Amino acid sequence: MDQSGIANYIPILIIFLLAIIFASAAIVLSRLAGRNRPTSVKLMPYECGVEPVGAARERQSVKFYLVAMIFLLFDIEAVFLIPWAVVFPGVLRDPSLRHLRFIFYGEMMLFMVVLFVGLFYVWRKGVLEWNR
Amino acid sequence: MDTSSLGISYHAILPELITATAAIAIMVGDAVARKISRRTAGLLALAGCAGAAVAVFSLWGETGPAFYGGMIINDPLRLSFAIVFLAVSTLTVLISIRWIEDEGLPAGEYFALLMFATTGMLLMASANDLVMIFLGLEITSISTYVLCGYRRQDIRSNESAVKYFILGSFSTAFLLYGIALIYGACYISGAHPAATTNLQLIRERIADGALFSPRMLMAGAAMMIVGFGFKVATAPFHIWSPDVYQGAPTPVTAFLSTGSKAAAFASFSRVFILTFAAASVMGSPELRELQSAWTGVLAVMAILTMTIGNLVAIVQTNIKRMLAYSSIAHAGYALMGIVARDWQAVAFYMIGYAVINIGAFAVIEAIARRGDIRTSLSDYSGIGFRSLGLASVLSLFLLSLAGIPATAGFVGKLLVFKSAWGAGFHMLVVIAVINSAVSWYYYLRVIVLMFFSEPAAEFNPPSLTKSLGVALVIMAIATFYLGLLPGRALALLENAKNQATMIVAK
Repeated sequence: MDQSGIANYIPILIIFLLAIIFASAAIVLSRLAGRNRPTSVKLMPYECGVEPVGAARERQSVKFYLVAMIFLLFDIEAVFLIPWAVVFPGVLRDPSLRHLRFIFYGEMMLFMVVLFVGLFYVWRKGVLEWNR
Repeated sequence: MDTSSLGISYHAILPELITATAAIAIMVGDAVARKISRRTAGLLALAGCAGAAVAVFSLWGETGPAFYGGMIINDPLRLSFAIVFLAVSTLTVLISIRWIEDEGLPAGEYFALLMFATTGMLLMASANDLVMIFLGLEITSISTYVLCGYRRQDIRSNESAVKYFILGSFSTAFLLYGIALIYGACYISGAHPAATTNLQLIRERIADGALFSPRMLMAGAAMMIVGFGFKVATAPFHIWSPDVYQGAPTPVTAFLSTGSKAAAFASFSRVFILTFAAASVMGSPELRELQSAWTGVLAVMAILTMTIGNLVAIVQTNIKRMLAYSSIAHAGYALMGIVARDWQAVAFYMIGYAVINIGAFAVIEAIARRGDIRTSLSDYSGIGFRSLGLASVLSLFLLSLAGIPATAGFVGKLLVFKSAWGAGFHMLVVIAVINSAVSWYYYLRVIVLMFFSEPAAEFNPPSLTKSLGVALVIMAIATFYLGLLPGRALALLENAKNQATMIVAK
């Protein structure tokens, strides 16, 4: 198979096309088939439940940012586990790599330990206690 | 997949492992004890630096093929710069053990971040892959962004952190864009891997002249010059550094102006001297053109950097800001080493500069007191005879920064000037010497202020703490040692040079 050809990117193009078709179909079909009875509340732009009009500068508790940051960190690091989990059975099966299985396993465990040190640190520092 | 090509070797990354372990140990200790004592945290950090130094010496001379699939290399450049970083970290720990208590700041996070930054710097020197350089740079930068804003209640510290963060991310984007372009430029159809970020492969492909697009490589190199230029604070990209250095807590400024600068110079040398320059010696005329293009750009940048740094330093009234501009000027001198393709001179320059600059900032820290209050130049008038010890070591460090013979600063300058002259950049050397003369003015002004002017304000001589005193003595001795007996260090570097040329020739 050609390793470098542009042909490899055709699936991505198809996904793009499907996305465009789906999005435009949803808009067009709901316009054609749906009933249209607007009220003032319905016409408000939806923004995750936040009041869309008002002062731009609004104070929010720093706790939200802390939780969001910790969530992001651990989320991204957990995503890192998935490719490892996909590759690892191959390491066990491949006779030329089998003798490295403990290194492959140990490295990931080390990564997890570091991750848990982080969690432990965050917990002991009281970030997880909301009412503080 | 060939297993031997994985090159897993824990010995090869032992220095990085030790500093990272020290950082994690400090974090765990801080979490278990709720608040780790500054002494424990500081000792753990010192132990980490010492352990890493032992690991570096155990790796000395063991140059070989790259490790971890070509990600890590153990060569003289890595080892020489690793010593610089570990010296910087050790001295920074020593000058901040007492400071952190006086300021009432949490010690655990501070020393952990310092150790993580050290890990990143070590990785920047040992990286043999553009992606690894990027990773090391990010580890260093993110830790130092936080350290800049460590005095949370102080608005200047906050300003420093925000500015450093925004401009640092901006420059990182440039660097990453450069990496992407170089990755694409080294594309060879049908080769395995088709395109590469591995520096050894990039060097081979440039030398073979089998590039997808030399112009793309040139654009990538230009982007990388911008990225590294930001990190070492060279002239058109220096605007962030005075504000950041002035606002950051003084020990952090000492660390930033020496450690992360040296780390950026290490990667700079690795990419531009050991990869591009080494490749184009063998390459086609097209590539020699690339070579002369970036050399010219860097020479102009060096001139701009030292001239702007020195001229603007003259009009400063705050000593931290003055030393920030002086630090820009010194980046200009060190850049001459890159222009002349002599990384040994840069490494020696950085170790000498690290010792004297951290020394100067240590004295400033002692005089500034809690909250960095006394940092204006007028606070220094007439303190010379009231606090003779501090004033004399500060004078020593300032004279060394100016480049007085018999000190580390002189030998460093001599080396970069010599190699630039030898490489045929005569004009550059002349301008650098004139600049050096200009810099005498503002360094000497502080000394004159301290010893020969009337005391303007109330001044109580600060009491010197044990760790700060030890650090000052070490740095004063090192200044003279590197200035009077540089032979040993130079022999090590010369030895390293021969090894490096052997590796390139292979």
